[in-house]
Amino acid sequence: MPIRVLPELLISQIAAGEVVERPASVVKELLENSLDADATQVSIQLEEGGVRRIRIADDGCGIERDELRLALTRHATSKIASLDDLERVASMGFRGEALAAVAAVARVRLTSRTRSARQAYAVHTEQGGDPSEVVPAALAQGTVVEVADLYFNTPARRKFLKSTATEYGHCEEAVRRIALARADVALDLSHDGRQRLRLAAGHETQRLHALLGADFAEHALPVSAQAGPFRLEGRVLPAPMATARQAAQYVFVNGRFVRDRLIAHALRQAYADVLHASRQPGYVLYLDVPPELVDVNVHPAKTEVRFRQPQDIHRLLQQAVERALARTLVASPDRPQSAPFARYAESPPSQAVQLGLGVSQPRAAYFASQTIAKAWRDMPSGEGERAHAAPAASIPDAEQALTRVSAELRRDAEGDLPPLGYALAQLHGIYILAQNAAGLIVVDMHAAHERILYEKLKQGQSGQFASQRLLLPVVLTAGPGEMATLETHAVALAELGFVLGRAGPEQIAVREVPALLAAADVPALLRALLADLAEFPASRVLEAHRDELLATMACHGAVRAHRSLSLPEMNALLREMERVERAGQCNHGRPTWVGWPLAELDRLFLRGR
Amino acid sequence: MLLLKTERDRLLRPLQAVSGIVDKRHTLPILSNVLLERTDGRLTLLATDIELQIQTIAEQTDASEPVALTVSARKFQDILRALPEGEVALQAEDKRLLIRSGKSRFTLQTLPAADYPRMSASTEVAVTVSLAQRHLRRLIGLVQYAMALQDIRYYLNGMLMVVRAGEFRLVATDGHRLAYASMPLPGVSEEIDIILPRKAVLELARLLADNDDPVQLRLGATQAQFNFGSIEFITKLIDGKFPDYDRVIPVGHDRVFALARTTLQAALLRAAILTNERFRGVRMVLSAGTLKLVSNNAEQEEAEELIDVDYHWEPMDIGFNVNYLIDMLSNVAVEMVEISLKDSGSSALFSFPGQDDFKYVVMPMRI
Repeated sequence: MPIRVLPELLISQIAAGEVVERPASVVKELLENSLDADATQVSIQLEEGGVRRIRIADDGCGIERDELRLALTRHATSKIASLDDLERVASMGFRGEALAAVAAVARVRLTSRTRSARQAYAVHTEQGGDPSEVVPAALAQGTVVEVADLYFNTPARRKFLKSTATEYGHCEEAVRRIALARADVALDLSHDGRQRLRLAAGHETQRLHALLGADFAEHALPVSAQAGPFRLEGRVLPAPMATARQAAQYVFVNGRFVRDRLIAHALRQAYADVLHASRQPGYVLYLDVPPELVDVNVHPAKTEVRFRQPQDIHRLLQQAVERALARTLVASPDRPQSAPFARYAESPPSQAVQLGLGVSQPRAAYFASQTIAKAWRDMPSGEGERAHAAPAASIPDAEQALTRVSAELRRDAEGDLPPLGYALAQLHGIYILAQNAAGLIVVDMHAAHERILYEKLKQGQSGQFASQRLLLPVVLTAGPGEMATLETHAVALAELGFVLGRAGPEQIAVREVPALLAAADVPALLRALLADLAEFPASRVLEAHRDELLATMACHGAVRAHRSLSLPEMNALLREMERVERAGQCNHGRPTWVGWPLAELDRLFLRGR
Repeated sequence: MLLLKTERDRLLRPLQAVSGIVDKRHTLPILSNVLLERTDGRLTLLATDIELQIQTIAEQTDASEPVALTVSARKFQDILRALPEGEVALQAEDKRLLIRSGKSRFTLQTLPAADYPRMSASTEVAVTVSLAQRHLRRLIGLVQYAMALQDIRYYLNGMLMVVRAGEFRLVATDGHRLAYASMPLPGVSEEIDIILPRKAVLELARLLADNDDPVQLRLGATQAQFNFGSIEFITKLIDGKFPDYDRVIPVGHDRVFALARTTLQAALLRAAILTNERFRGVRMVLSAGTLKLVSNNAEQEEAEELIDVDYHWEPMDIGFNVNYLIDMLSNVAVEMVEISLKDSGSSALFSFPGQDDFKYVVMPMRI
């Protein structure tokens, strides 16, 4: 076959393959256009999962009459004009491809009226994808895009579409992402005539409720951090709330939903310490990066981005999320609860709720606990003192424990009870029973102690990177890419205790290894390091391996079940838990304690009914 | 059919010699058994883990009819151990083994001897050496602690045995330190290098007696056989290239001083208490006339030990994994050890003063 220039329509259809993967991509592209047109109200109507018809109406700035036909042409856009614009693009779209690509594979009708225009005009695609003549039409203000019979002219593509329900699901997800990114825009979505989503502008708590469920909206912890030009806001689900199902995982970079390996890695690392292996983290995060420091022009669908300073982004994300998850029990009630959606100034501050335990609530709120406290205060004081002087050894009898607690309670009469309260007894040598202002606390003592030791070990080790010299250097083969990575990072690695050298054109000799990891499988460790080094800071990768070791040590060092503890020992453990970060979960992500508020216990006994 | 009637201890001791290698958690059930075999009026016990096989002659018997059966090594041994001293009778009965002693009676299940995966002694023997058991035992003791444990460089998980004209050497290393020991071997002209697996080395060290009775070594390319006392010990070898030990043993380290082994060992054991529990670093700070051992841990607790030594060079400061030093010091039974150093970045050489039959090389640690 001779070489030929392809016809315009075919070119557009090829391009459409990338941009218009399924109806959801049409929804995404058109919604982004609406947002770029400063719309405040967008309504989306779908039929048959968007395959039969997609109608998106907005109240944006509209398109001038003369430009209507141009809008349907490939590489025509109002969003950028020069390479300079491209490098700091702030709009969602900029390639000038979307409408043309859609027009190449569907019947498109575009109706629009600008603010200044006296009437609306419409244009539609004719056979062959060319725009028709502009005709007058009726419309208040904004733009309406109707896309009908998607893939009518590319039957092969049509065969790849899934069921109506699946395609609708994808469309809804596309709307969901936009809705989370732009709480300032009112959105409604209907499918086959039935309303599915109705989101008013500005109410982000309501929006979280509607989009991610009440659990997320109520329990997610606020994240807010800034590092240099980068800003991170959002919410993360505390580890005990995580479910096995893939939960809400949304990351927006400059308002654009992205799926990025670097970001995913940073978040996995942040959760690594607290999340059980079978659980999925949940988060909605907004990352603001100066447009010139991020390249969104990686893929037509723009779900991938490239950062100029990936390591800074990684650090910011990991540290901010870790901090949010690590909040200690003692510190959290005092800490100002920053509004997670601070970007929308008009929003009321959200109520971040502590995991089921109302430590942040005033003690007075608990009528029941007050009554008990009063009962204690009425007890003869001498008995309490005696119990205090000689605390019961292992299994204290209940009365003694109560009086002891009452003594301590009185001491704390002015201040609040500690969040985890005071120990009452040990249950079967496995659990510690304690009471706090809210009610009953049950602590898994091994898990709790394990976490405490682990955190201490980690603190003790940080910054210590002794290295063991090798008598027999470990030699491994590496590709040219790996060699280059190594050479760039040689200094950083040496600081961490990894001294490497070139042993041949494709061979690396390891001459020194970090002493902590001396017993590890060096080639495997180094390979893991090499794979991650290009994108993530070397110290992170090493720390992950080190933490694994420390976790094992902590597990062996922690008190075993069936060891009886005295009350002072138990109380010491509780106090320690309040101080230590991430005390809510053991190293394997299992919870270390659960709280039963009196109200819940009352319910068990049908009290107050 | 009566298999044997003898004193309990005359059966238990040989059984203990072979049962050490029986793997309790093996996927092949018959490997947790021990093979009892009577041929030519001798009862032999045999155990194997496929890599390693040990056979002992338990007892001469009057009956000569051949019998062979396998029975659970652990249960057999536990029963014998729990029985009071006295006569024990073994009887083979239709797929069962009957053990009787006094008023006790046990019936154990057996598996057919024909299924037992026994190794046959290789016919390809390159070198035959005879040593006193005590000498081989001592030599193994001098190096075995330096073997690697589950290193991916599989050839380090064992011990190198070298026969050179007139010399017999053992070498072990885990990549961080290396131990070398040698002894003269008159009358042997062949040469061979083999690597014995770790498990075989430890088992051999356990079984060899501290006496002058001979041990016969029959070394081949894939198998080594050791005959001593009533034991025949066969092991497969690790096929691999052991690192060139000559290259890592330093020569010409000029800062050489000797000190009493027990003094250094005791000081290190004390300093070890406050080392970082993971990487166990201890610093040797040398200045004219003194060796100072310094260790500290993550909690910033510190230990300091002073030892007077005949050191008269520039002061230096060198770090080691304290375990590597203690391992060696507690495995050599000598009065004095000699330390040769160059600088804080180079390996240290430990040896016995005035002798060159033991060398221990340790790489320093940057602390």
